[in-house]
Amino acid sequence: MGVSGMKILLFGYGNIDRQDDGVAWHILRGVAEHYQVMLPTVPEETNCVLSPAITTTFALQLTPESAEWVAEFDEVIFIDAHTGSVADLLHVEELNANFQTSPFTHHLTPQSCLALAGSLYEKAPKARLISVRGYEFGFAQSLSEQTEELARQAARVIIASIDQAGD
Amino acid sequence: MATQKITIEPVTRIEGHAKVTIHMKEDGTVDHAYLHVNEFRGFEKFCEGRMVFEMPNITPRICGICPVSHHLAAAKAGDEVYGAPPPRPARLLRELMHMGQVIQSHGMHFFELAGPDLLLGFDADPAIRNVVGLIQANPDLALKAVNLRKYGQEIIHILGGRRIHPVFAVPGGVNKALMPEERDLILSGYHKALDTVKVGIQIMKGWAEANQEDINKFAVFPSGYLGMVKPGNTLELYDGDIRLIDSDGKQMELFDGRTYLDYIAEHVEDWSYLKFPYYKKMGFPQGVYRVGPLGRLNASDRMATPMADAELKTFKAINSGKPVENTLYYHYARLIEALYAVENVAVLLDDPDVLSTDLLNTRHDYKGEGVGVIEAPRGTLWHHYFANENGQLERVNLIVATGNNNWAMSKAVDSVAKTYINGQVIREGLLNRVEAAVRAYDPCLSCSTHAVGQMPIVIEMVDSQGSLTRTISRGAD
Repeated sequence: MGVSGMKILLFGYGNIDRQDDGVAWHILRGVAEHYQVMLPTVPEETNCVLSPAITTTFALQLTPESAEWVAEFDEVIFIDAHTGSVADLLHVEELNANFQTSPFTHHLTPQSCLALAGSLYEKAPKARLISVRGYEFGFAQSLSEQTEELARQAARVIIASIDQAGD
Repeated sequence: MATQKITIEPVTRIEGHAKVTIHMKEDGTVDHAYLHVNEFRGFEKFCEGRMVFEMPNITPRICGICPVSHHLAAAKAGDEVYGAPPPRPARLLRELMHMGQVIQSHGMHFFELAGPDLLLGFDADPAIRNVVGLIQANPDLALKAVNLRKYGQEIIHILGGRRIHPVFAVPGGVNKALMPEERDLILSGYHKALDTVKVGIQIMKGWAEANQEDINKFAVFPSGYLGMVKPGNTLELYDGDIRLIDSDGKQMELFDGRTYLDYIAEHVEDWSYLKFPYYKKMGFPQGVYRVGPLGRLNASDRMATPMADAELKTFKAINSGKPVENTLYYHYARLIEALYAVENVAVLLDDPDVLSTDLLNTRHDYKGEGVGVIEAPRGTLWHHYFANENGQLERVNLIVATGNNNWAMSKAVDSVAKTYINGQVIREGLLNRVEAAVRAYDPCLSCSTHAVGQMPIVIEMVDSQGSLTRTISRGAD
């Protein structure tokens, strides 16, 4: 457990085979390195404990059962990529529970995940989304140059945020 | 007659998964409606150059919702390429994992995607017509539903390991045995899972009884039906022959799925990126068919487990033994399959071979080409690999379940639009029904990427001159 006693989950999601879509995994690797934990180049295990206070999770996408896992933490930082529809290159947003329907797909947003955590398990972890701009979404595991740089910045933001929570 | 066009489009990161356009006549009636799919087929190219034995680990990345189906279809294709049929215990364990996939997928769809439509009503406010609204209306049922999905996931995790993607099935077998304590753990959840599925079936039947009028005018149309069967036309989900029946229930073909190219062809329309598979001998569109739960139950005469078989008889009685054509009965069919999958878990775990360590056939008779067929939750899935003498892939062909239902989904949208839209005022409940027509098929439209933000529905009305006259959006930020 950290100094503050907070349990923090870093929940990255995306498809590492679709270039920048999988940037969350690269960001998690950057954060893990700070804690002297080496994550593999491609995700293998779902979860990894970085410290008594910090756990990472990586998934292809959020699913309804993600809510149960999210409900076990005091704070959750969702990590994702975004396109040009979001103005910031590095976007940080406080999240509230808000279920959002996806008419034709199985897409689940982090806000929806929080809504399920609240409705099903009566838990409301503090949550935020950290996303970086993606530029290339082809079938490859390499990041675009721009997104690779943003991933480094995002990792630093997350580390600072965790340090702040522990103060 | 001049027409206007309505577009319903979920906004996504990469050019949209699908959209609906409804072309209106001047008098406010519907001329025609289409479901356009922008599905990425690039995955086949991505696989070229990879080794066949890698495919069970690569192809699950196509989709985060049904990775097990791709995992197993790839392993089955690999069995063929290497000429290495798996030992019986490995087949049992693969089938067990597949049952876990069917349980979690069907469970999620009925309770979390379709359930709000059925339990809260098509005309309910979208703000509450979702799974959270359902939880508030019936928290006990919602928790049961989540636990049902978890039960299926647990089976997958026990066999595949708690990893991002399962590393379980390999060409020639599987790489992990089932331990006695793992078998007992799965069995310990059996009764709860069974009870939840039975509750779902009762809900579905009650809803059907109360909503016969909607069911009988909501996207009811004839088609062929295609699904996997064992001898006696018994429904099969893992390994069997492919049975195709016509709209009257008469068998047109019963074939080895590996010979699909002799029977199935794909039609191209300029308004959709997704091809339209059809029965070759009848041509397009006469040879179109439906897959998935409704297709499979219509193509089967019986089920291998007692409770599901009894429920199938009730299902067959809906249309006096003829194929059930009602799109909304996809939901009922899906639950009957979930019942079968849960029962089948117990059957598989009761088999003495399920704990065997004879799991891998290492004696290869290399063929270089192989087809793997499986009944994914959404329908029949084909993986076809062509490899060089080193086992490196030169060509890959995938026919995915949602692709098989492409024509049917568009037809359902057209039918619902024509039935329910009449006049210039578009009500919320109508849009819900258009969504529900697609959702009944539980399509999986290029799930391999996702988006920050939500996927709102945007409806654009365009007049005959191409000018935007009205925009309706829902769920937008």
